[in-house]
Amino acid sequence: MVRILSPWRRHRAVALAAVTGLAAISLAACGGGGAAGNGGSATSGNIKWWGWTPEINVANNDYIKAFNKVYPNIHVTYKQLTISGWDAGLRPALASSVGPDVFDIAPGAGMQQYAQYAQDLTPAVKKALGATWKSKVAPIGIRSLSTSSGKLAAMSVGATFAGSLWINQDLFDKYHLTAPTNMAQWVNVCKTFKQNGVGCFVQGAGQTAFNQDTLQSIADEIQPGYWTKASKGQAKWTDPTMVKALTIWKQLFHNGIMEKGALGVQQYPDANNDFLSGKNAMVMMGTWYMQYSTQSGMTSAISAAGVGNPKPFNAIAIPFPDVAGTGRTGTMYGDSDYGIAVNAKSKARNAATTFVTWLTTSKAGQQEVANALNDIPALNGVQPQWDNVTLVNKSAQQSALEKLVQQTTTSSEPRLSLITSDLQQAIGVASTTVAEGQKTPEQAASALQDAADKLPNKGTTTY
Amino acid sequence: MQTDDVELVRPRPATAVSSGRRPARRGSQPWGLPWILPALALVVGLIYYCIGYTGYISTLNWNGTAPDPTHVGLANYRQIFQDPVFWDAIRHTIVFFVVTFVVQTALGVIFAVLLHSRVKFPTIYKIIVFVPVVLAPATMAPVFRQMFAADGQFNWVLHHIGLGFVAQPWLAQSSTALPVIMFITIWQWTGLTFVLYFAAMGQIDSEILEAARIDGAGNLRVLRSIIWPSVRGTTVALLMLSVIGALKTFDVPYLVSLGGPNYATEFLGTFIYRISIPQAEVGYGAALSIMLLILALGGAVVLGVRGTRQGRSG
Repeated sequence: MVRILSPWRRHRAVALAAVTGLAAISLAACGGGGAAGNGGSATSGNIKWWGWTPEINVANNDYIKAFNKVYPNIHVTYKQLTISGWDAGLRPALASSVGPDVFDIAPGAGMQQYAQYAQDLTPAVKKALGATWKSKVAPIGIRSLSTSSGKLAAMSVGATFAGSLWINQDLFDKYHLTAPTNMAQWVNVCKTFKQNGVGCFVQGAGQTAFNQDTLQSIADEIQPGYWTKASKGQAKWTDPTMVKALTIWKQLFHNGIMEKGALGVQQYPDANNDFLSGKNAMVMMGTWYMQYSTQSGMTSAISAAGVGNPKPFNAIAIPFPDVAGTGRTGTMYGDSDYGIAVNAKSKARNAATTFVTWLTTSKAGQQEVANALNDIPALNGVQPQWDNVTLVNKSAQQSALEKLVQQTTTSSEPRLSLITSDLQQAIGVASTTVAEGQKTPEQAASALQDAADKLPNKGTTTY
Repeated sequence: MQTDDVELVRPRPATAVSSGRRPARRGSQPWGLPWILPALALVVGLIYYCIGYTGYISTLNWNGTAPDPTHVGLANYRQIFQDPVFWDAIRHTIVFFVVTFVVQTALGVIFAVLLHSRVKFPTIYKIIVFVPVVLAPATMAPVFRQMFAADGQFNWVLHHIGLGFVAQPWLAQSSTALPVIMFITIWQWTGLTFVLYFAAMGQIDSEILEAARIDGAGNLRVLRSIIWPSVRGTTVALLMLSVIGALKTFDVPYLVSLGGPNYATEFLGTFIYRISIPQAEVGYGAALSIMLLILALGGAVVLGVRGTRQGRSG
């Protein structure tokens, strides 16, 4: 039967179809995905790079500028996201079809979440470095950025290590103090600073992820290698080493070393700003703080800390003091700071791969990384060109930086790559409940072990 | 009767009246559905679909990105009831709601009454009280973190007025962090309470107030027996807003104290965010979101039913 619709009914039907179609299209668009074509040209195009690191000035003025000298037709736009907003921003972007072409990946929890979106970089790296490529880059970067199936999800740009304290040497000189090497000296140094109205050691214990660094340093002094074993589930968190580490951690809050109210302070921005603005003389930070040894890095960081007329000061890394009384200090632990991955959905995969391989495997790219003093380069044999780096106080800082870099070459302990976000949360809770006196070190260690037992892989990370 | 009144206001089309037949409304007037369909599609597609999808996700063990989520049935909900942090968040929400609502209401009424009296420069006072409402919490969070730090301005003031013994690291202690969060919220939202009460009091018939004065009622009696009952509708509205606000609380505790120390300022909003985003337990986070939805709906229904009953009895 043929039905003839009246003009208004026809109009209504068209309107209905249009609206329904629009709704269907808009809902279907939520699904994202889609084919990414052949990946485009490898030597031209526009690519978007998202990361929480490096700083914008380093990415634009050093890395991308140097890259464009070799590949002038690939336009890279870098967008820096905050660490706290990283997951919230990146996850939906990668799930869509319009996410970044290149993105940072952190070892550990980052790999766990984002490796699936990355293209396997093995063929590109093999092409760049040859069949023996694995011997030419830091193994820590390969191990922590590969999946269990062998996919190289990201190439490490460089590594960072924690286990050091940074001191404001100018303040130490002003009050005729030397860097502390044990607990007693540390207490005395803090006493002197406080008598002169200067904050001593600042740690943002309220942002619990960084408490892990301090606890790992203390545990390494008591029993080297224990922390890594516990992270892998091969040792109990209730071990006497951990109980003693938590006991010493608690002492730091009561003997005047830790700032009063540290549990209400966040490492970023509070503790970072307090150190850079000269309010505090010591801070628990790792090799990523090397970038503030340069005139430009320190000046912009002080300015970002809210100081109107920034005056760079002499920042020096020192080993974590021997607070356990064992004589063992100076252990550094670290991982690849970050790898950069190519989004498998990107329509400019080939240009993105060109950028990633240039920055991570070429000598020119890795030299830029070394000179920025943000990371220890992933490519073997690349050292900072000190003549091209303008330090705040070259005579005092260069030898200390060289020593710090040298220390990292002997490190075999990971920092984050074995710790899942759940385990990190549990370690953070143990640290703050002990610091506040809600739990004894024994109770906190026991609660931490309980939490670790509930984790699917007993603390080990699988991708 | 009411229908007839409406018909008088909206005249029938001339053709229908002149022909004496049933109005040909369906044929000659635009049908409404196409016009509301975009909004309907948006609401159903985005809001109800998302609620349904969140309900589905809440039955999964999923990190939000893995291609192989596992169905766990109601296990996430069972976990919620055994999770002490969830109960902490509920307890904080209740305390937060009671304290902030009572204090904001009291301050709002007091400011409104004072500014209805003959004070000098009333506009300046109104601006001072209302300004915090328009300031973004993200802007103010660092200020409050600094102010309530161990060496912050609040302790400095305490030391300088002889109350140094009260000074303490307010945000670093479980016992004092939540009161600080409540203080900030009261500071921020009292302006809105004040404006609503100020407007409601402006509607009170001045003759009633004059009659009360003639009968010998003092200020407190007028406030208790005339003003307070007259602004009851505003109080009920603020009560509902406070319940919803307490359940949605996220920005101030997240920005000022990150939900800590030791979960002392954890609310459902911060808990859901921490579980879903940094810890990537999206299934569990979705179950918590559904619990939040149930609590919000339950609160709205209870308040709505009570409001209706009291309205009838009143």
